[in-house]
Amino acid sequence: MKVYDGSQSEGAVGDDPERIKVGIAEYEVTAENAELTTSGLGSCVGLALYDARNGVAGLIHVMLPESDEMEDGKPAKFADAGTELLIEEMKKLGATVTGMTAKLAGGSDMLDFSESGSGIGDRNIEQVRETLQEYNIPVEGEDVGGDHGRSLRLESATGDLVVKSANKENQRL
Amino acid sequence: MKVDVEALDTFNQLAREGAEEATRSLAQMTGINGSVDVTKISLVDRGDIGEQLGDKAHVGVQFGFEGALAGDTALIFEEDQTAEIVEALMPGAAADESMAQSAIQEIGNIMMSGFIDGWAEYLGATINHTPPGYIEGSGEELLPKSDTVKGHDQVFVFRSDINWEGEPVKFFIYMLPEYEPMAELMAELGTEADNAIPIEKLAVFNQMTRDGTKKAAANVQQMSGIETEAEVSQISFTPLVDVPKQFGEDTYVGTAVEFTGAPSGFLIVLFDEQSAITVAEALMPVEMDSDELTDQHKMAIEELGNIMTSGFVDGWANVLQQSVEHTPPRLVHDMGRAIIDPLAAQLGQHQQHAFVIDSKMKTDEVEFESEIHALPNEKELREALEGLDVTRVEETEANTEEIF
Repeated sequence: MKVYDGSQSEGAVGDDPERIKVGIAEYEVTAENAELTTSGLGSCVGLALYDARNGVAGLIHVMLPESDEMEDGKPAKFADAGTELLIEEMKKLGATVTGMTAKLAGGSDMLDFSESGSGIGDRNIEQVRETLQEYNIPVEGEDVGGDHGRSLRLESATGDLVVKSANKENQRL
Repeated sequence: MKVDVEALDTFNQLAREGAEEATRSLAQMTGINGSVDVTKISLVDRGDIGEQLGDKAHVGVQFGFEGALAGDTALIFEEDQTAEIVEALMPGAAADESMAQSAIQEIGNIMMSGFIDGWAEYLGATINHTPPGYIEGSGEELLPKSDTVKGHDQVFVFRSDINWEGEPVKFFIYMLPEYEPMAELMAELGTEADNAIPIEKLAVFNQMTRDGTKKAAANVQQMSGIETEAEVSQISFTPLVDVPKQFGEDTYVGTAVEFTGAPSGFLIVLFDEQSAITVAEALMPVEMDSDELTDQHKMAIEELGNIMTSGFVDGWANVLQQSVEHTPPRLVHDMGRAIIDPLAAQLGQHQQHAFVIDSKMKTDEVEFESEIHALPNEKELREALEGLDVTRVEETEANTEEIF
Protein backbone atom coordinates (compact mmCIF):
# COMPACT_ATOMS: atom_id res chain seq x y z
CA MET A 1 0.00 0.00 0.00
CA LYS A 2 1.32 3.38 -0.91
CA VAL A 3 1.93 6.13 1.59
CA TYR A 4 2.50 9.57 0.19
CA ASP A 5 4.84 11.47 2.47
CA GLY A 6 5.94 14.19 0.14
CA SER A 7 8.91 12.45 -1.39
CA GLN A 8 6.74 11.24 -4.25
CA SER A 9 4.83 14.41 -4.90
CA GLU A 10 7.19 15.95 -7.43
CA GLY A 11 4.80 14.80 -10.11
CA ALA A 12 2.32 17.50 -9.05
CA VAL A 13 1.93 20.24 -11.59
CA GLY A 14 2.13 23.87 -10.48
CA ASP A 15 0.23 24.73 -7.31
CA ASP A 16 -2.60 22.30 -7.90
CA PRO A 17 -2.77 19.68 -5.21
CA GLU A 18 -1.69 16.25 -6.31
CA ARG A 19 -4.67 14.02 -7.09
CA ILE A 20 -4.49 10.43 -5.96
CA LYS A 21 -6.97 7.76 -7.01
CA VAL A 22 -8.23 5.25 -4.52
CA GLY A 23 -9.52 2.03 -6.05
CA ILE A 24 -11.97 -0.46 -4.64
CA ALA A 25 -10.63 -2.12 -1.51
CA GLU A 26 -7.82 0.41 -1.37
CA TYR A 27 -6.98 3.40 0.78
CA GLU A 28 -4.64 6.37 0.68
CA VAL A 29 -3.44 8.71 3.41
CA THR A 30 -1.78 12.08 2.98
CA ALA A 31 -0.15 14.77 5.09
CA GLU A 32 0.58 16.84 1.97
CA ASN A 33 -2.83 18.27 1.12
CA ALA A 34 -3.27 15.90 -1.80
CA GLU A 35 -6.77 15.39 -3.18
CA LEU A 36 -7.90 11.83 -2.70
CA THR A 37 -10.55 10.58 -5.11
CA THR A 38 -12.58 7.45 -5.60
CA SER A 39 -15.28 6.68 -8.14
CA GLY A 40 -18.20 4.37 -8.76
CA LEU A 41 -19.48 3.75 -5.25
CA GLY A 42 -22.65 1.69 -5.51
CA SER A 43 -23.21 -0.34 -2.39
CA CYS A 44 -19.57 0.32 -1.47
CA VAL A 45 -18.84 2.99 1.12
CA GLY A 46 -16.21 5.70 0.99
CA LEU A 47 -14.96 6.79 4.41
CA ALA A 48 -13.00 10.03 4.73
CA LEU A 49 -11.11 10.69 7.95
CA TYR A 50 -9.55 14.06 8.68
CA ASP A 51 -7.36 15.28 11.51
CA ALA A 52 -7.37 19.07 11.12
CA ARG A 53 -4.94 19.65 13.99
CA ASN A 54 -2.22 17.50 12.49
CA GLY A 55 -3.11 18.03 8.83
CA VAL A 56 -3.60 14.37 7.98
CA ALA A 57 -6.37 12.97 5.80
CA GLY A 58 -7.30 9.51 4.56
CA LEU A 59 -9.84 7.91 2.27
CA ILE A 60 -10.85 4.27 1.98
CA HIS A 61 -13.25 2.49 -0.42
CA VAL A 62 -14.74 -0.57 1.30
CA MET A 63 -16.89 -3.20 -0.37
CA LEU A 64 -18.24 -5.59 2.26
CA PRO A 65 -19.22 -5.22 5.93
CA GLU A 66 -17.26 -7.76 7.92
CA SER A 67 -13.84 -9.26 7.39
CA ASP A 68 -14.64 -12.44 9.32
CA GLU A 69 -17.33 -13.34 6.80
CA MET A 70 -14.63 -14.76 4.58
CA GLU A 71 -10.93 -15.45 4.52
CA ASP A 72 -9.26 -12.67 2.66
CA GLY A 73 -5.91 -11.01 3.12
CA LYS A 74 -7.23 -7.63 2.05
CA PRO A 75 -8.46 -5.66 5.10
CA ALA A 76 -9.21 -2.55 3.02
CA LYS A 77 -12.05 -4.46 1.37
CA PHE A 78 -14.07 -4.57 4.59
CA ALA A 79 -15.88 -1.90 6.58
CA ASP A 80 -14.65 -3.09 9.97
CA ALA A 81 -11.01 -3.99 9.25
CA GLY A 82 -10.69 -1.19 6.69
CA THR A 83 -11.80 1.53 9.08
CA GLU A 84 -9.29 0.29 11.66
CA LEU A 85 -6.56 0.13 9.03
CA LEU A 86 -7.21 3.69 7.86
CA ILE A 87 -7.04 4.98 11.44
CA GLU A 88 -3.74 3.18 12.04
CA GLU A 89 -2.19 4.40 8.78
CA MET A 90 -3.16 8.00 9.58
CA LYS A 91 -1.60 7.66 13.02
CA LYS A 92 1.65 6.72 11.30
CA LEU A 93 1.59 10.13 9.59
CA GLY A 94 1.11 11.92 12.90
CA ALA A 95 -2.68 11.95 13.25
CA THR A 96 -4.31 11.28 16.60
CA VAL A 97 -7.59 9.43 17.08
CA THR A 98 -8.95 12.22 19.29
CA GLY A 99 -8.33 14.74 16.51
CA MET A 100 -10.12 12.72 13.81
CA THR A 101 -13.52 13.44 12.34
CA ALA A 102 -15.32 11.28 9.78
CA LYS A 103 -17.45 11.79 6.70
CA LEU A 104 -18.98 8.97 4.73
CA ALA A 105 -20.81 8.46 1.48
CA GLY A 106 -22.14 5.56 -0.58
CA GLY A 107 -23.93 2.47 0.63
CA SER A 108 -26.66 2.74 -2.00
CA ASP A 109 -29.19 -0.07 -2.24
CA MET A 110 -29.27 0.06 -6.06
CA LEU A 111 -29.43 -3.37 -7.71
CA ASP A 112 -29.56 -5.18 -4.42
CA PHE A 113 -31.16 -8.52 -5.15
CA SER A 114 -30.99 -9.90 -1.62
CA GLU A 115 -34.43 -11.10 -0.68
CA SER A 116 -34.31 -10.98 3.08
CA GLY A 117 -32.64 -8.77 5.66
CA SER A 118 -30.88 -5.54 4.89
CA GLY A 119 -28.73 -5.09 1.81
CA ILE A 120 -24.95 -4.84 1.60
CA GLY A 121 -25.06 -1.03 1.30
CA ASP A 122 -26.93 -0.63 4.60
CA ARG A 123 -24.74 -3.13 6.36
CA ASN A 124 -21.59 -1.41 5.09
CA ILE A 125 -22.74 1.95 6.46
CA GLU A 126 -23.79 0.39 9.77
CA GLN A 127 -20.46 -1.36 10.17
CA VAL A 128 -18.39 1.77 9.42
CA ARG A 129 -20.43 3.76 11.96
CA GLU A 130 -20.04 1.03 14.55
CA THR A 131 -16.27 0.83 14.15
CA LEU A 132 -15.95 4.63 14.27
CA GLN A 133 -17.95 4.60 17.48
CA GLU A 134 -15.51 2.18 19.06
CA TYR A 135 -12.83 4.82 18.53
CA ASN A 136 -15.17 7.69 19.52
CA ILE A 137 -14.62 9.34 16.15
CA PRO A 138 -17.57 11.67 15.38
CA VAL A 139 -19.34 11.53 11.99
CA GLU A 140 -19.56 15.12 10.75
CA GLY A 141 -21.28 14.55 7.45
CA GLU A 142 -22.77 11.83 5.34
CA ASP A 143 -24.58 11.20 2.07
CA VAL A 144 -25.62 7.57 2.16
CA GLY A 145 -28.27 5.15 0.91
CA GLY A 146 -30.62 5.91 -1.96
CA ASP A 147 -30.51 4.16 -5.30
CA HIS A 148 -27.74 5.94 -7.16
CA GLY A 149 -23.97 5.76 -7.51
CA ARG A 150 -21.46 8.28 -6.17
CA SER A 151 -17.91 9.47 -6.71
CA LEU A 152 -15.88 11.27 -4.07
CA ARG A 153 -13.12 13.84 -3.78
CA LEU A 154 -11.55 14.52 -0.40
CA GLU A 155 -9.84 17.90 -0.29
CA SER A 156 -7.20 17.29 2.32
CA ALA A 157 -6.41 20.96 2.84
CA THR A 158 -9.85 21.55 4.36
CA GLY A 159 -11.30 18.10 4.99
CA ASP A 160 -14.17 18.84 2.61
CA LEU A 161 -15.66 15.80 0.94
CA VAL A 162 -17.25 16.50 -2.45
CA VAL A 163 -19.88 13.95 -3.51
CA LYS A 164 -20.79 13.61 -7.19
CA SER A 165 -23.74 11.59 -8.46
CA ALA A 166 -24.70 10.80 -12.05
CA ASN A 167 -28.04 12.61 -12.05
CA LYS A 168 -27.69 14.99 -9.13
CA GLU A 169 -25.96 18.22 -8.13
CA ASN A 170 -22.59 17.94 -6.41
CA GLN A 171 -22.70 18.03 -2.65
CA ARG A 172 -20.01 19.32 -0.36
CA LEU A 173 -19.85 17.67 3.05
CA MET B 1 -4.85 -28.44 -20.18
CA LYS B 2 -6.74 -27.99 -16.98
CA VAL B 3 -7.24 -24.47 -15.84
CA ASP B 4 -6.83 -24.12 -12.13
CA VAL B 5 -8.38 -21.17 -10.35
CA GLU B 6 -5.41 -20.84 -8.00
CA ALA B 7 -3.03 -20.84 -10.94
CA LEU B 8 -5.14 -18.25 -12.75
CA ASP B 9 -4.91 -16.11 -9.65
CA THR B 10 -1.13 -16.40 -9.62
CA PHE B 11 -0.97 -15.47 -13.29
CA ASN B 12 -3.18 -12.52 -12.60
CA GLN B 13 -0.94 -11.26 -9.81
CA LEU B 14 2.05 -11.69 -12.09
CA ALA B 15 0.42 -9.70 -14.83
CA ARG B 16 -0.47 -6.97 -12.35
CA GLU B 17 3.02 -6.81 -10.86
CA GLY B 18 4.51 -6.81 -14.33
CA ALA B 19 2.25 -3.97 -15.42
CA GLU B 20 3.07 -2.01 -12.27
CA GLU B 21 6.77 -2.52 -12.91
CA ALA B 22 6.29 -1.32 -16.48
CA THR B 23 4.42 1.75 -15.21
CA ARG B 24 7.17 2.54 -12.71
CA SER B 25 9.77 2.28 -15.46
CA LEU B 26 7.84 4.77 -17.51
CA ALA B 27 7.45 7.14 -14.55
CA GLN B 28 11.20 7.05 -13.98
CA MET B 29 11.90 7.91 -17.59
CA THR B 30 9.28 10.56 -18.14
CA GLY B 31 8.12 11.78 -14.73
CA ILE B 32 4.56 10.80 -15.62
CA ASN B 33 2.92 8.79 -12.85
CA GLY B 34 0.38 6.17 -13.78
CA SER B 35 -1.76 3.56 -12.14
CA VAL B 36 -2.70 0.09 -13.25
CA ASP B 37 -6.47 0.01 -13.56
CA VAL B 38 -7.20 -3.50 -14.66
CA THR B 39 -5.41 -6.71 -15.29
CA LYS B 40 -7.27 -9.64 -16.61
CA ILE B 41 -6.76 -12.96 -18.24
CA SER B 42 -9.15 -13.75 -21.04
CA LEU B 43 -9.72 -16.86 -23.01
CA VAL B 44 -10.52 -15.64 -26.48
CA ASP B 45 -11.03 -16.98 -29.93
CA ARG B 46 -7.92 -16.43 -31.99
CA GLY B 47 -9.99 -14.44 -34.41
CA ASP B 48 -11.20 -12.08 -31.70
CA ILE B 49 -7.84 -11.10 -30.26
CA GLY B 50 -7.47 -7.37 -29.93
CA GLU B 51 -11.06 -6.68 -30.83
CA GLN B 52 -11.31 -3.90 -28.28
CA LEU B 53 -8.58 -1.94 -30.03
CA GLY B 54 -11.18 -1.02 -32.61
CA ASP B 55 -10.15 0.81 -35.75
CA LYS B 56 -7.97 3.47 -34.13
CA ALA B 57 -4.34 3.91 -35.08
CA HIS B 58 -2.00 2.37 -32.57
CA VAL B 59 1.76 2.20 -32.12
CA GLY B 60 3.93 0.12 -29.87
CA VAL B 61 6.53 -2.57 -29.60
CA GLN B 62 6.37 -6.30 -29.93
CA PHE B 63 8.76 -9.08 -29.09
CA GLY B 64 8.97 -12.79 -28.56
CA PHE B 65 10.04 -14.45 -25.34
CA GLU B 66 11.09 -17.93 -24.36
CA GLY B 67 12.14 -19.86 -21.30
CA ALA B 68 9.85 -20.76 -18.43
CA LEU B 69 7.11 -19.28 -20.54
CA ALA B 70 7.20 -18.69 -24.27
CA GLY B 71 5.17 -16.66 -26.69
CA ASP B 72 4.72 -13.15 -27.97
CA THR B 73 4.00 -9.92 -26.23
CA ALA B 74 3.10 -6.44 -27.32
CA LEU B 75 2.74 -3.08 -25.66
CA ILE B 76 0.35 -0.78 -27.44
CA PHE B 77 -0.51 2.90 -27.18
CA GLU B 78 -3.19 4.84 -28.96
CA GLU B 79 -1.19 6.86 -31.45
CA ASP B 80 -2.87 10.20 -30.83
CA GLN B 81 -2.02 9.93 -27.15
CA THR B 82 1.69 9.34 -27.51
CA ALA B 83 2.89 12.91 -28.07
CA GLU B 84 2.87 13.61 -24.34
CA ILE B 85 5.09 10.71 -23.35
CA VAL B 86 7.36 11.09 -26.35
CA GLU B 87 7.89 14.77 -25.43
CA ALA B 88 8.48 13.87 -21.80
CA LEU B 89 11.24 11.49 -22.83
CA MET B 90 12.79 13.42 -25.73
CA PRO B 91 11.71 17.04 -25.96
CA GLY B 92 11.04 17.99 -29.56
CA ALA B 93 10.77 14.39 -30.75
CA ALA B 94 7.02 14.29 -31.27
CA ALA B 95 7.26 16.44 -34.39
CA ASP B 96 9.83 14.16 -36.00
CA GLU B 97 8.48 10.82 -37.11
CA SER B 98 11.63 8.77 -36.80
CA MET B 99 12.54 10.32 -33.47
CA ALA B 100 9.04 9.73 -32.18
CA GLN B 101 9.33 6.15 -33.32
CA SER B 102 12.60 5.57 -31.52
CA ALA B 103 11.21 7.21 -28.39
CA ILE B 104 8.24 4.83 -28.45
CA GLN B 105 10.60 1.94 -29.03
CA GLU B 106 12.77 3.00 -26.11
CA ILE B 107 9.78 3.44 -23.80
CA GLY B 108 8.30 0.15 -24.93
CA ASN B 109 11.55 -1.69 -24.47
CA ILE B 110 12.09 -0.50 -20.92
CA MET B 111 8.51 -1.03 -19.90
CA MET B 112 8.32 -4.50 -21.34
CA SER B 113 11.63 -5.55 -19.84
CA GLY B 114 10.10 -4.60 -16.49
CA PHE B 115 7.03 -6.63 -17.33
CA ILE B 116 8.90 -9.78 -18.32
CA ASP B 117 11.45 -9.51 -15.50
CA GLY B 118 8.60 -9.46 -13.02
CA TRP B 119 7.39 -12.82 -14.31
CA ALA B 120 10.82 -14.40 -14.42
CA GLU B 121 11.57 -13.29 -10.89
CA TYR B 122 8.37 -14.73 -9.54
CA LEU B 123 8.85 -18.03 -11.33
CA GLY B 124 12.49 -18.17 -10.24
CA ALA B 125 13.37 -18.95 -13.82
CA THR B 126 14.87 -17.28 -16.84
CA ILE B 127 12.79 -15.74 -19.59
CA ASN B 128 14.75 -14.38 -22.53
CA HIS B 129 13.33 -12.03 -25.05
CA THR B 130 14.15 -10.94 -28.55
CA PRO B 131 14.93 -7.27 -29.27
CA PRO B 132 11.75 -5.24 -29.47
CA GLY B 133 10.35 -4.37 -32.86
CA TYR B 134 8.39 -1.21 -33.53
CA ILE B 135 4.83 -1.81 -34.70
CA GLU B 136 2.14 0.48 -35.98
CA GLY B 137 -1.23 -0.01 -37.54
CA SER B 138 -4.88 0.10 -36.82
CA GLY B 139 -6.53 -2.07 -34.26
CA GLU B 140 -6.11 -5.79 -34.02
CA GLU B 141 -4.03 -6.34 -37.13
CA LEU B 142 -0.90 -5.12 -35.38
CA LEU B 143 -1.06 -7.70 -32.63
CA PRO B 144 1.12 -10.82 -32.72
CA LYS B 145 -0.51 -13.42 -34.90
CA SER B 146 -0.16 -16.18 -32.33
CA ASP B 147 0.40 -18.93 -34.90
CA THR B 148 2.40 -20.67 -32.21
CA VAL B 149 -0.83 -22.04 -30.77
CA LYS B 150 -1.29 -24.64 -33.45
CA GLY B 151 -4.46 -26.60 -33.16
CA HIS B 152 -5.86 -24.52 -30.35
CA ASP B 153 -8.60 -22.14 -31.23
CA GLN B 154 -8.68 -20.49 -27.86
CA VAL B 155 -5.83 -18.33 -26.70
CA PHE B 156 -5.07 -16.84 -23.33
CA VAL B 157 -4.57 -13.12 -23.48
CA PHE B 158 -3.26 -11.10 -20.56
CA ARG B 159 -4.36 -7.54 -20.71
CA SER B 160 -3.54 -4.56 -18.54
CA ASP B 161 -4.98 -1.09 -18.80
CA ILE B 162 -2.91 1.71 -17.35
CA ASN B 163 -4.01 5.29 -16.92
CA TRP B 164 -2.09 8.38 -16.05
CA GLU B 165 -3.31 10.99 -13.66
CA GLY B 166 -4.46 13.95 -15.66
CA GLU B 167 -2.97 12.60 -18.90
CA PRO B 168 -5.07 11.04 -21.61
CA VAL B 169 -2.64 8.20 -22.10
CA LYS B 170 -3.66 4.61 -21.88
CA PHE B 171 -1.86 1.51 -22.90
CA PHE B 172 -2.52 -2.16 -23.24
CA ILE B 173 -0.13 -5.00 -22.69
CA TYR B 174 -1.02 -8.17 -24.53
CA MET B 175 0.73 -11.38 -23.75
CA LEU B 176 0.01 -14.41 -25.85
CA PRO B 177 1.70 -17.41 -24.30
CA GLU B 178 2.34 -20.57 -26.24
CA TYR B 179 0.00 -23.34 -25.29
CA GLU B 180 2.31 -26.07 -24.02
CA PRO B 181 4.60 -24.12 -21.63
CA MET B 182 1.52 -22.33 -20.35
CA ALA B 183 -0.24 -25.63 -19.68
CA GLU B 184 2.79 -26.96 -17.85
CA LEU B 185 3.05 -23.88 -15.67
CA MET B 186 -0.66 -23.97 -15.04
CA ALA B 187 -0.38 -27.54 -13.78
CA GLU B 188 2.64 -26.67 -11.65
CA LEU B 189 1.04 -23.67 -10.01
CA GLY B 190 -2.33 -25.30 -9.44
CA THR B 191 -2.95 -26.57 -5.95
CA GLU B 192 -6.39 -28.05 -5.56
CA ALA B 193 -7.56 -30.52 -8.14
CA ASP B 194 -11.18 -29.51 -7.39
CA ASN B 195 -10.51 -26.05 -8.72
CA ALA B 196 -9.37 -27.17 -12.13
CA ILE B 197 -11.52 -26.70 -15.19
CA PRO B 198 -10.56 -28.52 -18.38
CA ILE B 199 -9.77 -25.82 -20.90
CA GLU B 200 -11.96 -27.47 -23.51
CA LYS B 201 -14.92 -26.82 -21.27
CA LEU B 202 -14.01 -23.21 -20.70
CA ALA B 203 -13.87 -22.93 -24.46
CA VAL B 204 -17.28 -24.52 -24.69
CA PHE B 205 -18.50 -21.94 -22.25
CA ASN B 206 -17.22 -19.26 -24.58
CA GLN B 207 -19.22 -20.90 -27.32
CA MET B 208 -22.26 -21.02 -25.10
CA THR B 209 -21.94 -17.34 -24.44
CA ARG B 210 -21.65 -16.66 -28.12
CA ASP B 211 -24.85 -18.63 -28.71
CA GLY B 212 -26.54 -16.68 -25.95
CA THR B 213 -25.50 -13.41 -27.53
CA LYS B 214 -26.70 -14.57 -30.96
CA LYS B 215 -30.02 -15.43 -29.48
CA ALA B 216 -30.24 -12.05 -27.79
CA ALA B 217 -29.39 -10.40 -31.11
CA ALA B 218 -32.03 -12.50 -32.85
CA ASN B 219 -34.61 -11.32 -30.33
CA VAL B 220 -33.71 -7.70 -31.00
CA GLN B 221 -34.00 -8.34 -34.71
CA GLN B 222 -37.35 -10.04 -34.35
CA MET B 223 -38.68 -7.14 -32.34
CA SER B 224 -37.31 -4.36 -34.50
CA GLY B 225 -36.86 -5.88 -37.93
CA ILE B 226 -33.33 -4.48 -37.96
CA GLU B 227 -30.51 -6.89 -38.63
CA THR B 228 -28.48 -7.20 -35.46
CA GLU B 229 -25.10 -8.82 -35.19
CA ALA B 230 -23.54 -10.53 -32.20
CA GLU B 231 -19.92 -9.53 -31.78
CA VAL B 232 -17.06 -10.51 -29.49
CA SER B 233 -17.66 -12.72 -26.59
CA GLN B 234 -15.03 -13.66 -24.13
CA ILE B 235 -14.70 -15.04 -20.69
CA SER B 236 -12.13 -13.49 -18.43
CA PHE B 237 -10.85 -14.08 -14.96
CA THR B 238 -10.02 -11.27 -12.61
CA PRO B 239 -9.87 -10.39 -8.91
CA LEU B 240 -13.37 -9.45 -7.85
CA VAL B 241 -12.36 -5.94 -6.80
CA ASP B 242 -11.15 -5.30 -10.36
CA VAL B 243 -14.52 -6.10 -11.92
CA PRO B 244 -16.13 -2.65 -11.46
CA LYS B 245 -12.91 -0.99 -12.66
CA GLN B 246 -13.39 -2.53 -16.08
CA PHE B 247 -16.37 -0.29 -16.47
CA GLY B 248 -15.53 3.33 -16.92
CA GLU B 249 -16.96 6.43 -15.35
CA ASP B 250 -19.31 7.07 -18.26
CA THR B 251 -23.03 6.93 -17.73
CA TYR B 252 -24.93 3.92 -19.00
CA VAL B 253 -28.55 2.93 -19.29
CA GLY B 254 -29.57 -0.67 -19.09
CA THR B 255 -31.06 -3.51 -17.12
CA ALA B 256 -29.81 -5.98 -14.54
CA VAL B 257 -31.25 -9.29 -13.43
CA GLU B 258 -30.27 -11.99 -11.02
CA PHE B 259 -30.44 -15.45 -12.56
CA THR B 260 -30.77 -18.68 -10.67
CA GLY B 261 -29.92 -22.19 -11.73
CA ALA B 262 -26.54 -23.70 -12.40
CA PRO B 263 -24.77 -21.35 -12.28
CA SER B 264 -26.51 -18.46 -10.56
CA GLY B 265 -25.30 -14.91 -10.94
CA PHE B 266 -26.09 -11.56 -12.49
CA LEU B 267 -26.64 -10.42 -16.03
CA ILE B 268 -26.41 -6.83 -17.17
CA VAL B 269 -27.38 -5.28 -20.50
CA LEU B 270 -25.83 -1.84 -21.00
CA PHE B 271 -26.14 0.96 -23.56
CA ASP B 272 -24.19 4.18 -23.50
CA GLU B 273 -26.58 7.12 -23.24
CA GLN B 274 -26.44 8.01 -26.93
CA SER B 275 -26.97 4.41 -28.01
CA ALA B 276 -29.87 4.17 -25.60
CA ILE B 277 -31.58 7.14 -27.24
CA THR B 278 -30.84 5.94 -30.77
CA VAL B 279 -31.85 2.38 -30.16
CA ALA B 280 -35.02 3.29 -28.31
CA GLU B 281 -36.12 5.50 -31.17
CA ALA B 282 -35.05 3.24 -33.99
CA LEU B 283 -35.89 -0.16 -32.67
CA MET B 284 -39.01 0.45 -30.66
CA PRO B 285 -42.32 1.02 -32.36
CA VAL B 286 -43.06 4.18 -30.40
CA GLU B 287 -42.83 7.90 -31.08
CA MET B 288 -40.51 9.72 -28.70
CA ASP B 289 -41.26 13.21 -27.38
CA SER B 290 -37.70 14.39 -26.99
CA ASP B 291 -34.14 13.87 -28.22
CA GLU B 292 -32.91 13.77 -24.66
CA LEU B 293 -33.06 10.59 -22.67
CA THR B 294 -36.59 10.49 -21.25
CA ASP B 295 -38.60 8.03 -19.18
CA GLN B 296 -40.13 6.88 -22.45
CA HIS B 297 -36.69 5.95 -23.78
CA LYS B 298 -35.93 4.22 -20.53
CA MET B 299 -39.09 2.14 -20.74
CA ALA B 300 -38.10 1.07 -24.24
CA ILE B 301 -34.64 0.13 -22.95
CA GLU B 302 -36.22 -1.85 -20.16
CA GLU B 303 -38.25 -3.82 -22.67
CA LEU B 304 -35.22 -4.32 -24.89
CA GLY B 305 -33.09 -5.36 -21.92
CA ASN B 306 -35.74 -7.88 -21.05
CA ILE B 307 -35.82 -9.60 -24.43
CA MET B 308 -32.03 -9.55 -24.71
CA THR B 309 -31.71 -11.09 -21.26
CA SER B 310 -34.26 -13.80 -22.08
CA GLY B 311 -32.46 -14.58 -25.31
CA PHE B 312 -29.09 -14.80 -23.62
CA VAL B 313 -30.32 -16.93 -20.75
CA ASP B 314 -32.18 -19.25 -23.15
CA GLY B 315 -28.95 -19.75 -25.05
CA TRP B 316 -27.29 -20.95 -21.86
CA ALA B 317 -30.21 -23.08 -20.78
CA ASN B 318 -30.18 -24.86 -24.17
CA VAL B 319 -26.59 -25.90 -23.77
CA LEU B 320 -26.92 -26.83 -20.12
CA GLN B 321 -30.24 -28.54 -20.84
CA GLN B 322 -31.73 -27.20 -17.69
CA SER B 323 -33.83 -24.21 -16.91
CA VAL B 324 -32.23 -20.95 -15.94
CA GLU B 325 -34.66 -18.55 -14.27
CA HIS B 326 -34.21 -14.82 -13.92
CA THR B 327 -35.80 -12.00 -11.96
CA PRO B 328 -37.66 -9.24 -13.81
CA PRO B 329 -35.14 -6.72 -15.15
CA ARG B 330 -34.36 -3.66 -13.08
CA LEU B 331 -33.69 -0.51 -14.99
CA VAL B 332 -30.44 1.29 -14.20
CA HIS B 333 -29.14 4.66 -15.32
CA ASP B 334 -25.89 5.54 -13.63
CA MET B 335 -22.10 5.56 -13.85
CA GLY B 336 -20.99 2.22 -15.35
CA ARG B 337 -18.71 1.45 -12.46
CA ALA B 338 -21.40 2.16 -9.86
CA ILE B 339 -23.84 -0.15 -11.65
CA ILE B 340 -21.46 -3.10 -11.45
CA ASP B 341 -20.27 -2.33 -7.94
CA PRO B 342 -23.27 -3.71 -5.99
CA LEU B 343 -23.36 -6.83 -8.18
CA ALA B 344 -19.67 -7.49 -7.59
CA ALA B 345 -20.21 -6.90 -3.87
CA GLN B 346 -23.04 -9.45 -3.77
CA LEU B 347 -20.80 -12.04 -5.43
CA GLY B 348 -17.95 -10.92 -3.20
CA GLN B 349 -19.70 -12.33 -0.17
CA HIS B 350 -18.74 -15.78 -1.41
CA GLN B 351 -15.73 -15.41 -3.70
CA GLN B 352 -12.58 -13.39 -4.22
CA HIS B 353 -12.25 -13.81 -7.96
CA ALA B 354 -14.73 -13.60 -10.73
CA PHE B 355 -15.28 -15.00 -14.17
CA VAL B 356 -16.72 -12.19 -16.26
CA ILE B 357 -18.48 -12.84 -19.53
CA ASP B 358 -18.52 -9.97 -22.00
CA SER B 359 -20.41 -9.78 -25.28
CA LYS B 360 -21.30 -7.01 -27.65
CA MET B 361 -23.81 -6.56 -30.38
CA LYS B 362 -24.38 -3.94 -33.01
CA THR B 363 -26.31 -3.22 -36.16
CA ASP B 364 -25.12 -1.81 -39.45
CA GLU B 365 -28.30 0.13 -40.03
CA VAL B 366 -28.39 2.06 -36.79
CA GLU B 367 -25.44 3.48 -34.89
CA PHE B 368 -25.66 1.65 -31.62
CA GLU B 369 -23.69 -0.70 -29.49
CA SER B 370 -24.83 -2.77 -26.59
CA GLU B 371 -22.93 -4.83 -24.11
CA ILE B 372 -24.03 -7.89 -22.22
CA HIS B 373 -22.08 -8.89 -19.15
CA ALA B 374 -22.64 -11.92 -17.00
CA LEU B 375 -21.17 -12.43 -13.56
CA PRO B 376 -21.71 -16.06 -12.60
CA ASN B 377 -21.06 -17.51 -9.18
CA GLU B 378 -17.54 -18.89 -9.57
CA LYS B 379 -18.01 -22.17 -7.71
CA GLU B 380 -21.30 -22.94 -9.44
CA LEU B 381 -19.79 -22.13 -12.80
CA ARG B 382 -17.03 -24.63 -12.16
CA GLU B 383 -19.60 -27.25 -11.19
CA ALA B 384 -21.76 -26.51 -14.20
CA LEU B 385 -18.74 -26.90 -16.47
CA GLU B 386 -17.78 -30.14 -14.78
CA GLY B 387 -21.18 -31.59 -15.57
CA LEU B 388 -21.14 -30.27 -19.10
CA ASP B 389 -21.25 -32.88 -21.82
CA VAL B 390 -19.14 -31.48 -24.61
CA THR B 391 -20.87 -33.55 -27.30
CA ARG B 392 -24.24 -32.19 -26.25
CA VAL B 393 -22.94 -28.69 -26.81
CA GLU B 394 -21.94 -29.62 -30.31
CA GLU B 395 -25.45 -30.90 -30.98
CA THR B 396 -26.95 -27.72 -29.61
CA GLU B 397 -24.58 -25.73 -31.75
CA ALA B 398 -25.91 -27.50 -34.80
CA ASN B 399 -29.43 -26.64 -33.72
CA THR B 400 -28.64 -23.00 -33.16
CA GLU B 401 -27.09 -22.85 -36.59
CA GLU B 402 -30.39 -24.05 -38.01
CA ILE B 403 -32.27 -21.40 -36.10
CA PHE B 404 -30.11 -18.54 -37.31
